[in-house]
Amino acid sequence: MTQAYPPVLKLTRISRSFGKVKAVNNVSLQIDRGEVIGLTGENGAGKSTLLKILAGIERPDEGTMEINGKVANFRSPNDAFKAGVGVVHQEQSLFTNLSVAENIEQQNQSRMGLERFGFQNWKRINADAAAVLKKIGVNLDPKARVGDLSFVDRQMVEIARAVCVEPGGDGTPLIILDEPTAVLEQAEVEVLEREILKLKKFASVIFVSHRLDEVLRICDRVLVMRHGVLTSDRSTEGVTKDELFKAMVDDAPTVSTHARSSRPIELKPAIEVQGLTMKGKFRDISFAAYPGRITALVGTNGSGRGRIMRALFGAEEFDGGTIEVAGKPVHNWSIRKAVAAGLAYVPAERKVEGMIGGYSGTRNIALVHPGEAARGQILRPGKMAETAQSWFDRLDVNPNNIKQPLDQFSGGNQQKVVLAKWLNSSDLKVLMLDHPLRGLDVGVSQAVNAEIRKACDHGTAVILIPDTIEEALEMADEIIVLRDGQLSARHDLSVASDLAIKEIVAEMV
Amino acid sequence: MAFLTKLREFSAWHTVAPPLVFFAMLLVVGVFNSNYLGPLGISIATASAAPILLVALGQSMVLNIGSIDLSNAAISLVGAILLAMTIPAFGVGAMIAVLALLTVIGAINGLILAYTHVPSFALTLGTLGILQTTALVVSGSETIYLSENRELVTTLYSAKLFYIPLTFWMGVVVAVAYWVLLRLTRVGQNMTAVGKNESGAILSAIPTKWVKVIAFAISGFTGGLAGIAIVAQAGSASASGLGSALLLPGIAAALVGGTSISGGLTNPLNVVFGALTVAFVPIAIQAIGFNAAAQSLVYGIFIIAVVTLTTTRTRGLVIK
Amino acid sequence: MRNLSIKNLSGPTGILAALVVLIVLFSLLNPRFASVENLQNVLFQVSVPLIIVVGTSLVIQMGSIDLSVEGVMGAAGMAWILLSPNTRLEGDIGVWAWFVALGLGLVLGLITGAIYAKLKVPSFVVSLGTWYVGLGIAILLYGNALLPSLTSEALARWPTQLTLGLPNCFWLAAVILAAGVFVSHYTKFGRGLMAIGNNEPIARSNGMPVDRYKIAAFAIAGTLCGLAGILATMQLGSGSPDIGFGQLFVVIPAAVIGGTALSGGEGGVIRSAIGVFLLIILNNGLVLAGVDPDYQSGVFGMILLIAVIAVAWPQRGRLKVAK
Repeated sequence: MTQAYPPVLKLTRISRSFGKVKAVNNVSLQIDRGEVIGLTGENGAGKSTLLKILAGIERPDEGTMEINGKVANFRSPNDAFKAGVGVVHQEQSLFTNLSVAENIEQQNQSRMGLERFGFQNWKRINADAAAVLKKIGVNLDPKARVGDLSFVDRQMVEIARAVCVEPGGDGTPLIILDEPTAVLEQAEVEVLEREILKLKKFASVIFVSHRLDEVLRICDRVLVMRHGVLTSDRSTEGVTKDELFKAMVDDAPTVSTHARSSRPIELKPAIEVQGLTMKGKFRDISFAAYPGRITALVGTNGSGRGRIMRALFGAEEFDGGTIEVAGKPVHNWSIRKAVAAGLAYVPAERKVEGMIGGYSGTRNIALVHPGEAARGQILRPGKMAETAQSWFDRLDVNPNNIKQPLDQFSGGNQQKVVLAKWLNSSDLKVLMLDHPLRGLDVGVSQAVNAEIRKACDHGTAVILIPDTIEEALEMADEIIVLRDGQLSARHDLSVASDLAIKEIVAEMV
Repeated sequence: MAFLTKLREFSAWHTVAPPLVFFAMLLVVGVFNSNYLGPLGISIATASAAPILLVALGQSMVLNIGSIDLSNAAISLVGAILLAMTIPAFGVGAMIAVLALLTVIGAINGLILAYTHVPSFALTLGTLGILQTTALVVSGSETIYLSENRELVTTLYSAKLFYIPLTFWMGVVVAVAYWVLLRLTRVGQNMTAVGKNESGAILSAIPTKWVKVIAFAISGFTGGLAGIAIVAQAGSASASGLGSALLLPGIAAALVGGTSISGGLTNPLNVVFGALTVAFVPIAIQAIGFNAAAQSLVYGIFIIAVVTLTTTRTRGLVIK
Repeated sequence: MRNLSIKNLSGPTGILAALVVLIVLFSLLNPRFASVENLQNVLFQVSVPLIIVVGTSLVIQMGSIDLSVEGVMGAAGMAWILLSPNTRLEGDIGVWAWFVALGLGLVLGLITGAIYAKLKVPSFVVSLGTWYVGLGIAILLYGNALLPSLTSEALARWPTQLTLGLPNCFWLAAVILAAGVFVSHYTKFGRGLMAIGNNEPIARSNGMPVDRYKIAAFAIAGTLCGLAGILATMQLGSGSPDIGFGQLFVVIPAAVIGGTALSGGEGGVIRSAIGVFLLIILNNGLVLAGVDPDYQSGVFGMILLIAVIAVAWPQRGRLKVAK
């Protein structure tokens, strides 16, 4: 039967690079009518770039894409929509101030009858949206305001909108769902799963998810990506989770490269959290970080680890649990208090949050802990330059110009200055780093890691959110695994020396 | 667009342009009326520039943290009226008290901004309305003349040093003081950091709320000094008299002086040239033979042109 | 729940209730308030800001702001009177005066919109500039002569004449208001403005002509300010560059208390219109109660302040950036 129709999607040798990184590398695949395809892989495996290419947000450097038998060359998301590709993004992209019907019909400009003499024909718009909602079997009032709906209902509106794509002729719509379950509760996930099965009747679906259980349950086929390459394309029948894990992570079975020092484990933690909870974000998180040790928080993007770190730094509210710094519980925790207590935080969004881009290295370093460079309120320009110069030399910042605005430096050199800003404290108790190596090349990464270890050797407790599990295994003394906002496992690496990456991935998803 | 980008990339714009623009303006005026290039011209230009300069310096400090103060000219007008009413009885004490009061009014603007996150232009538009009414009500819609202690303030205007009245020198001193504050103190450094990148400043544990309160308090205080300059020049004050239209010239002077509307960039010393340029506008218009009142047309164009030329545009950024 | 509290403060029911309370209160305090003459007077006063607020709402709905109101009114009003029968007799061109004056408003609006949308300069700065550009044009037109007065009896009396018991100027405002409601509810453009105010990047990626919509919104606002300038000039019977004085302090607080959040995407023309009624009636009642009219901009400024704080208060957060 399928022979009668061309494939809904056919990718031939698609590649897309960002700088030196091949985010999508030579990917070929085919999706037929009515198929539900699971797409999975670690963070940074290239899934999102592939989706962006399908959605018309990014254009491939090489390769061809055919939709319903026609070659597709998308210049904008709107082109993709018109060709029959409907996307439900991870971040909801609805107009919360408009009605359900308006959102569904938003891009439906060519459909006849929605406008009468150039004016909105509300009757037709509402009727049309009602028909779409009925088609996908969702019971929502087309006139309801999207902002008043629950999250999962809004997700349904997104799906209804995606379903409105116009593949033309007897083409089949391709619906892409990008991690739609990441923030849903269990009952809501079931609603969504039923929904996807309904879509099968008239559309093909790509379902992106970290959760292998779900993928295996709903999908006909599962694709796995790693480092931009499609590493597995299997029918869900007969495939095991173990096989999929193998496709997701590198072949190296066990990593234990970094000779963990024989640092004595101090009995008193530098910072300790008990039952830390933020409704809907993370719950009941308890762990401690000790002086001279590196603790890595590992998990997927939706695991809540970034928020937990921000809560420790006073940058995020939490509704339950306690934080103790140097044995004393904190009250009305804030960034100012955290820094005064000797905490430091290197955010993942370096340019927006980590540094003052328009300011020079000198100014950035003197911002938080000026030390010698300030006497009370008065800054001492000579000392400021001296301090900055010594950090630039020590960290080998290139170009070695302390007066140049920081936004003119490369990412790696910016990161060195951000580190210097915090390390310039004479009394650093806890150093927290969120994706410190993001976008850095190998050489700079090593320099940054060396500096983190050095701080650690001087008795600072380090909490690290690594880019990869390899990075965690290389750097950390303890790994804490998080899943969906909860602590799912912890590994003391000084005891368990033969920990496999596969094992950790299984605890994450 | 490409041309604009090139021009903006010429980073010396902010440091070199303000004096250059001023001297160009001086030249144009000089061609029409060479008297303005002599001592008389200097006296007239600096005298009329003094209140503008002071208002502009306060505005620059607020623009530097990435906000705007639409109420600061109204603060100086209220200040002028209060000074005219109280100086006859209390002399110098009145000046100190009025300056303190206006500083507090500015700080209140800052407190509301810091703790409610209202956009500053909307907030200060509200306080502008309140202060306009205050000016009318306090003065009873009449001109208040200094009866006693008149020479206490008017000397600031009549006494000259190198043909330049003391009111303008006061502005120069304030400019130097603010330059020092911004470049050589932690609080000044923090202000600029907030203006350049507020998120980064918050996560660097900078007390951003206090920084805002202080910047707006400075705007209020400097507005008060402008009030002194107004009373010194006119010997009187009224809600519609001298100083009632300082808002636009003040913003224009700050921007022509190289201050960025998006924050994090100002040089108080260059604002001095910005104020002189703006003060020359009515003189230049008259020299060409138009109604000097049409100066607002030029201020409006100045503001749009300077901001258009100096705004950095990030792709994908939503501008409201 | 958080949304509810804002709605209670500034939603249409809340503001309508406030309006009713105000009317009842003033009627009880002063019998003159509820008189036919005074109500006609209120409708007379309300017409000009009602016309302006239609444009202001469209602009604020998309998250921008137009501060140029008073300047554009001055320029258009001055141009109109000098081209109509007036004491300076410079050149009466009859009905073409309307086209010239409205065209001036349109051009000023187009300039604001184009610089804002295409050169990406924040709208409050551009419109602050065009405010004074408009004012400067008005002053140049006025020159050094006497203020021109309208000599045509028919034109000068038109706004106050009653049709079906209501003054003509109010009928004009009502027509504009109806058109504004229609545009914002029944055109793709009007809905597009709401979408832009809610989430501009999504609107763009959906293929909406965002820049054209922005320019069009400012062009409409400019034209309506021009019309308001003409009407105010007729009401006064003479021209003045300051014809629009104080209007900005009516229309912006009116829009904000009507629930048109300055961040965009909320509110509407009708709500803003109710806001105008509320403010004008408040002012009228206060004046009847013997309060000096000088207090007007102070009271309205205070209302603006309270309204923006009430809207912003629930959205505070640790990392919230406020410019």
